Amino acid sequence: MPVEVVTGNHAAGHALSVAAEANRDARGAACGIYPITPQTEIVEYVAKYPFTKCRVVPVESEHSAMGVSIGASLAGARAFTASSSNGLAYMVENIMVAGFYRLPIVMAAVNRTLGPPWNIWADHGDTLMLRDFPWIQFYCESNQEIMDTTLLAFRIAEDHRILLPALVALDAFILSHTQGETDLADQGQADRYLPHLDLPHRMRHDDPKTLGGLMWPDVAASLRLEIDEAMLRVPAVFEEARAEFVEVFGRDPGGALQTLGTEDAETILVAIGSIATTTHEVVQARRAAGEKVGLIKLKMFRPFPEEAFRDACRTASRVGVLDRNYAAGMGGVFWQDIRAAFQSTRNDLLIQDYLTGLCGGDVTPAMIDEVLSDLMARERAERPVWMGIAA
Amino acid sequence: MVEIRIHGRGGQGGVTLAKIIATSRFLLGQSVQAFGLYAAERSGAPIQAFCRYDDDPIANRNLIYSPDHIIVLDPTLVGPAITGGLKPGGWILINTTKAPQEMAEQFPDNPIATVDATAIARANKLGTRSVPIVNTALAGASARMLGFELSEIHDALEHLGFVGPNIVAASQAHEALRLPEAVEDEAAEVPVVEGVLAEETAEAAGAVETPAPYTVVPRGPSFLEGAGGDLPGIETGQWATEQPHRQQYVPPCNHVCPAGNDVQGFLHALAHDDPDRALEILLESSPFPAVCGRVCPAPCMASCNRIDLDGAVNVRQLERYAGDNGNASLTPMEPRDERVGVVGSGPAGLTAAYHLARYGYRVTVYESTADLGGLLRSGIPRFRLPEDVLDEEIGRILSLGVEVETEHPIDRRELMDMAGRHDAVLVATGLQELRGLRLGIGDTPAVDQGIDFLDLARRGQVRVDGEDVVVVGGGNTAMDAARSSLRLGANSVRVVYRRTRDEMPAIAEEIDEALEEGVQLDYLTQPITLQPNGSTAQESSDPGDGGYRLTGRRMELGEPVEAGRRRPVEIPGSDFELTCSRLILALGQSPDLSVFPEGTEVREGDELLGLLETPVFAIGDLATNDGTVAGAIGSGRRSALHIHGALSGERTETTEHATARRDVDVWHDEVIRSDAMRLHLFERQAGQEGTSLPMATRQSTFDEIHMGLTDPSEAKRCLSCGVCNECDLCVTYCPEGVLKRVGHRLEFDYAYCKGCGICVTECPRNVIFMSHL
Repeated sequence: MPVEVVTGNHAAGHALSVAAEANRDARGAACGIYPITPQTEIVEYVAKYPFTKCRVVPVESEHSAMGVSIGASLAGARAFTASSSNGLAYMVENIMVAGFYRLPIVMAAVNRTLGPPWNIWADHGDTLMLRDFPWIQFYCESNQEIMDTTLLAFRIAEDHRILLPALVALDAFILSHTQGETDLADQGQADRYLPHLDLPHRMRHDDPKTLGGLMWPDVAASLRLEIDEAMLRVPAVFEEARAEFVEVFGRDPGGALQTLGTEDAETILVAIGSIATTTHEVVQARRAAGEKVGLIKLKMFRPFPEEAFRDACRTASRVGVLDRNYAAGMGGVFWQDIRAAFQSTRNDLLIQDYLTGLCGGDVTPAMIDEVLSDLMARERAERPVWMGIAA
Repeated sequence: MVEIRIHGRGGQGGVTLAKIIATSRFLLGQSVQAFGLYAAERSGAPIQAFCRYDDDPIANRNLIYSPDHIIVLDPTLVGPAITGGLKPGGWILINTTKAPQEMAEQFPDNPIATVDATAIARANKLGTRSVPIVNTALAGASARMLGFELSEIHDALEHLGFVGPNIVAASQAHEALRLPEAVEDEAAEVPVVEGVLAEETAEAAGAVETPAPYTVVPRGPSFLEGAGGDLPGIETGQWATEQPHRQQYVPPCNHVCPAGNDVQGFLHALAHDDPDRALEILLESSPFPAVCGRVCPAPCMASCNRIDLDGAVNVRQLERYAGDNGNASLTPMEPRDERVGVVGSGPAGLTAAYHLARYGYRVTVYESTADLGGLLRSGIPRFRLPEDVLDEEIGRILSLGVEVETEHPIDRRELMDMAGRHDAVLVATGLQELRGLRLGIGDTPAVDQGIDFLDLARRGQVRVDGEDVVVVGGGNTAMDAARSSLRLGANSVRVVYRRTRDEMPAIAEEIDEALEEGVQLDYLTQPITLQPNGSTAQESSDPGDGGYRLTGRRMELGEPVEAGRRRPVEIPGSDFELTCSRLILALGQSPDLSVFPEGTEVREGDELLGLLETPVFAIGDLATNDGTVAGAIGSGRRSALHIHGALSGERTETTEHATARRDVDVWHDEVIRSDAMRLHLFERQAGQEGTSLPMATRQSTFDEIHMGLTDPSEAKRCLSCGVCNECDLCVTYCPEGVLKRVGHRLEFDYAYCKGCGICVTECPRNVIFMSHL
């Protein structure tokens, strides 16, 4: 497939489609679709795709969209869907079911501010609402990363050591509606990269069974434990899937963490999603000027790559977290998990939260510079700093 | 890195313009970004789009605050606000009819280029019929200010699938781009404009790549105190570049109606189940709706736009429905002293009398026979037009005070005399001269004229039991005579016609019905001789006992003659014989001008006897030779209006069609054809025929064949072409709620209309159009 100038939505729709098509000689593929700004172009792309063996089912709500995907997945099809914001909120009950059913569904989620007030721009609060469900979560910063991570997500989710759903998040408009050059996977590559889905617990008419009926506390709890064990296996499976991706596509889709200058950085910024691109530029400029600053871009948020994170911060004394989300009564969601990762291992580390670009605010290089200036002058961490708004 | 900011309005294609420019750089291997700043705005709202390109991978994802260049898609957006952050020396490309010099004062720090991309887009039919899309034209124009080759923009357009007119528009705008004089002077030596110009100038000014500073905005109002505050009160109509207006066309039915009926108008009334109003509308033009609803050839149906969807609206039967079921009272105007005499009581004479009586004139109709109605009564059999229907409509005319003198033929001398007693005289004697045929036989009772035969049949004074009847001709009289013969006991009835069915002047339905009833039709046949059976003598007229034999000759169609019909040519040696006990001639009629002074030439609306004080006019078939009832009605109406104008000095409406003029912004005198309608917005629905007598009964009775429609729902199939029928789809679909109906009037709230054009797109009948502001 040649490189094309396409939007992030186009990249997501294309990745979902070639992945679905790659299962055509097995149990096929299926998805329930329901539109919502700014995700609509993804399901439009999928609905128009000339599949060989994939059922695209337009339904009346996000809840049913995930319901269709759950049913299809249970029948052994490669299942997927896409949504955003309040649509995800409406889908929640079934999102949870997909995880506890251990179904390797992949969902493209366009990060959009939860309303009210009504707002269509980028904010990670919607997918972070799902953080405690058994779903793997990836966040992307470019159209290429959306394309690549979506295929990676199928590969990891469907691995028999994992069998968990995965969501691939992309920022509203900044990625979903921005055209940029993107190497779109062709079908041959997708076929080589994605083996046929073989769901061990798929429903068979000749072997009827019940899924998710009443279970005693010890049985139910042991299933939670089983999920925990699967989650802990994700980083290793990720690295395997990543290596094979490089082999098939000739490019690195990136690891759970991507770093710049962390080998010697005293001050590190953590960025998620499209903010990482701009932050990368600022950090690179500062390093060129001789400052010991670094960047951690967090690609995989669930499971949280705790160890890798601690390792990346080994030379740092200050960490600033750029949170494009707000957890009421607490602060940034990423900040909480990062703080927890260093609990009792690095009590000297200053970890400060910066709420940047909330509700779609534009994150400029000047704002990142301001964050760095504030962070480097700090003696201790305090309550999260609201960037760009008068306190 | 080069950064471009595009200012436009929703729907103009600004984001796509960013993509076209980005794609042209991408194809040369550069890293690109193209995006819009999206919000809740719909069509017409000011929008911004952005484009970045660079040799290195682009490393930021924020908006563009300090663009190298600006492109403005809509001239109404030009103002200080658009140049915010623009680097000194950066180009401003504006879609406008103005020259760059006219804008130079407003933007002293930047060179300005202009192009009328809207005109180019319109010329290339880009965009919808309501809103032109200017982006591909501007892409071509931008090549020069950005230092691209035009071919690079063409490559991008082709890569994105914009072909044909888009490529042409890009080239035309590239050519038409107007640059400041200073740059144009240099153009002789230096390549027109280099993309780096802005950068160089900006560098000189020390303003390269100044990032937007970090800013902290004050907090908004508390949610509890009403976050968002009052409604913004933005008059979104200021965003409009196009505005909708109401228009009206002439529906084809109204245009072709010879009687001048407002067909669309009366169908609209019937569609609302109001036969009284429908009749009222019809009576404005014609006193004979019930008659025409039975005998009119209905050119309205032949021209109906609905044919292109699922078949014509059955206007004929609907007119009959209104005539039979409507009630309308007629009130004449104030009585006038002037007297008008009308010679002849056919449809033309009675229509003229009707209209003149409504104007208040004292009208006297002179009829040579005992009964009023002319050919309506004597020439059309009862099974098509029952006499009580005719009597009722004539009664309505007489109720206006029209006086009648029956059995009062007018000759040349009395016409002169009449002129002295009246202020105007109308001669409506129709076509009295019957055409004959040389058949090598003298006078014989076996040969009738069709008109005479029909009149005898009406009076019950003829039977043709057991006879083999041959009718010669192809018009309605021929069909009526043939069908009457069947009903009068004929053994066989055969119509011979020298051309083919396509050339027959009779109403198509009447031909079909004649065939259904058992009439045989011989096309391309010319009668040559009629001879008594057993006789060979050329001139013998002895009927003998064995009846007659008719020799016919086969014809073929030759070259078209002037009138357009192809001339029949005899085929030598093709003669054949037909059994024939009675021959009926229905070959048409011509005017009898003996009532006028010798050498008179007759033309409708001409005053014939100008030498007298009193104007004398010829009207109806006598003047027009048209031959249809509707044509005679139209002539009668026009003549009445003409006379009224001449006698009263008042201006009168003399348009050919009686379309009710609604309260609209633009009236078009042109007819709206189906390609200007949105036929796909109508549901397909078969037309209604009405009920008819069963075939078995028809052949033995003169009872009316058709019983008509049982309700007027067929009128709902009328598309109301080019005339607003208050369907209010536009009101329903207006996304801004700025369209409302006030009584019969449609009103636009231009203060809030953004000119999206959805009302135009949704109107099925093309009564709304957009005009450029």
